[in-house]
Amino acid sequence: MSDAVWAIRRGEPGYPAALADLGTAAPERLFGCGDRQAVEGHQLEHTVTVVGSRRASSYGRGVAEELGRLLAAAGLVVVSGMARGIDASAHRGALTGGGTTLAVLGGGADVVYPAGQRRLYGDILASGAAISEAPPGRRPGPGAFPKRNRIMAALGAITVVVEAAQPSGSLITTRQALDLGRKVGAVPGPVTARVSEGTNNLIVDGAFLIRGAQDVLDLLLGVGVEAVRRCGPPLEPDLARVAGAVELGSRTCDAVALALGASPEATAVALAQLELLGYLRADAGGRYSRSALIPPGEETEP
Amino acid sequence: MLASARTFALLGIEAREVQVEVDVAGGGLPSFSLVGLPDAAVRESRERVRAALVNSGFEFPMQRITANLAPADLPKVGPGFDLAIAAALLVASGQLPPERLRGVALAGELALDGSIRPVPGILAMAEAARRLKAPAIAVSAHNAAEAALAGEPRVVPLGRLQQLGSLGTEDEPAAPPRPAWSANGAQPQGPDLADLRGQPYLRYALEVAAAGGHSLLIVGPPGAGKSLAARRLPSIMPPLRRTEAMEVLRIASACSRSLRSDASPARPFRAPHHTISTAGLVGGGSPPRAGEVTLSHRGVLFLDELGEFPREALEALRQPLEEGRVTIVRARHAVDLPCRFMLVAASNPCPCGRGEESGECECQPASVRRYRAKLSGALADRIDIAISVERPSAEAMGAAPGSDSATVRGRVIAARERQERRLGSGRCNAEMSLAELRRDAATTPEAKATLAAGHAQLGLSGRGHDRVLRLSRTIADLDGCGQVSGDHVARALTLRRRGTE
Repeated sequence: MSDAVWAIRRGEPGYPAALADLGTAAPERLFGCGDRQAVEGHQLEHTVTVVGSRRASSYGRGVAEELGRLLAAAGLVVVSGMARGIDASAHRGALTGGGTTLAVLGGGADVVYPAGQRRLYGDILASGAAISEAPPGRRPGPGAFPKRNRIMAALGAITVVVEAAQPSGSLITTRQALDLGRKVGAVPGPVTARVSEGTNNLIVDGAFLIRGAQDVLDLLLGVGVEAVRRCGPPLEPDLARVAGAVELGSRTCDAVALALGASPEATAVALAQLELLGYLRADAGGRYSRSALIPPGEETEP
Repeated sequence: MLASARTFALLGIEAREVQVEVDVAGGGLPSFSLVGLPDAAVRESRERVRAALVNSGFEFPMQRITANLAPADLPKVGPGFDLAIAAALLVASGQLPPERLRGVALAGELALDGSIRPVPGILAMAEAARRLKAPAIAVSAHNAAEAALAGEPRVVPLGRLQQLGSLGTEDEPAAPPRPAWSANGAQPQGPDLADLRGQPYLRYALEVAAAGGHSLLIVGPPGAGKSLAARRLPSIMPPLRRTEAMEVLRIASACSRSLRSDASPARPFRAPHHTISTAGLVGGGSPPRAGEVTLSHRGVLFLDELGEFPREALEALRQPLEEGRVTIVRARHAVDLPCRFMLVAASNPCPCGRGEESGECECQPASVRRYRAKLSGALADRIDIAISVERPSAEAMGAAPGSDSATVRGRVIAARERQERRLGSGRCNAEMSLAELRRDAATTPEAKATLAAGHAQLGLSGRGHDRVLRLSRTIADLDGCGQVSGDHVARALTLRRRGTE
């Protein structure tokens, strides 16, 4: 890891072959911060681009984070744009999944934009790289982001849109991906949500429907080649009942205790144990939700 | 002729001695001047004294009258000096024998007809009089019971100005009986916890908060019982010990002129509206006045709609929360006010209150983020417990009520007693230093493993780790255990306030 900016010229060894598909539009030089190897070792068929709205819902952010985490855990590289919302969630998910993630920036590779993502930027550099065609130090100007989108589209064998309004920058990325002959997938959302309008339309227009990381793995590697590691440690019956109650919509400790007729103290203990085992997550206020982890013996779920 | 009388100026909640010197000199034009840093209300005292004297059958001397309030650099506010000025004037003009006033402290406002009105801060003044070894303090009859709380000196309740002549004689109005202190006997006051139905975990969180003195954040939509719960917290806190009760009374006395003459007050519960100014919350102004944090000393400060409070006001809560007292410095003086309170904050999940998952929420992500940022600001560090609540369902509401405040308070008192045995009198787990935490939170191997798992799986920070340990200690105290077990740590992990993403 280093803060120094490095550069790879077009034609030099280490310049990602996937970018050559852009033809004359391929960037002349690629600047980067972080692990240079993450770019030089780029393999198109093991790379997924995840994009989506900055104004994402908690549903969208959750899906993006889960996608990032499970794809990274399966050994794929996750590419995104470090914007707020879906992008940031995908990066963060990939980092928790212990994988490599690439951030393609609109400004210089050493310019943290948006500035609020400084911490995420640091984490990305520690296990991947931030790259850009803009020279170091340049602030992203108008037009920088649509231009940068073509790089994201070229780097991923598939571009998955998690949430996008109509029209949106994410849809520009999908058009560029299609022009390059890459696959495009979309995560469905509520038909009433404006932020899912673009993705639902993509599905109607023939994009792959993505229900989770397994769908992406099947598309890229072939069905049944790689399974998302979703199986958790075994659960005692009491804990399984609590996990089930949360799955059925009891989100607070009170709700779970009432649903199961258990004491609040015992419920609190069970919730903490399930959170430690990875079956549950809690938000800042202490509201619980189920993670993608399933108990052993129930792998038949899609 | 020259005469002087003893009275007090109120600074914050503290009374400082003021000598009123009055000189009545013949010759020249008749005049009445008042010197010694009086504010407008004190300066107007001249008119009240003049009318009160005349209407009480005394003579107002048509001579040069000079009244000086010493020390001259201490700012004096309010009408409480009236009685002392009138008394000194009566002595100086030969209408009252000087021995009547010898050493006696006086405090009261004069009405134009010569009757005497109550003033704020009488308890602090009576205590100051006791320290000065004054033989008696003369106050309005309405203030008498309050003055009697100090024990010493003798209290002389005055109804009218004429009664000054009876000071120290057999005709002196009888002192009121000293209000009895009822230690521990007091039943829980205020609304009862039994009203809180269908939310067993919320009850449990309140119990842990009360047992360890932990600050609490409740997140949930409108109608989920957040303020209903907060208002019931004082009823399960241990009764005030005597010194604490005196502190509460002293503050109440300084901030209002009509104190209930009750020696065993309830723990205060203050719920300022979110439009409150910073000065209103922590105290301020010139001369400095106590804010809501001081008014909730030894009680509960409830901030409903935490996200709507101005940021500066919340930031200003930091020093009070950390140090248990607030220092207000103004150009002329500094005032130290106590403010050891339990903070209970309530918040909606988002600005519109419906919550992101309801599907009806129309809040922009940016505004939700701003709203939540308030909860995770500097203040959050001092909040140990955070829980989410929902509107209880109809069947949950119909369930049998849980235990009442007296029962829960019994458990809280037992837990506090365990804490005091370790930490010393009057202290609780929330105030433990890091060294005390390491010393007292003996953990079983199982608890250590749970804590380590929390560190690895949940990304618990150093501070987060200490917070969980502190809470575990309180939970173990409630269970009557000397050692913190794995179950205690697990419950603390669920109760703890989590860092925001």
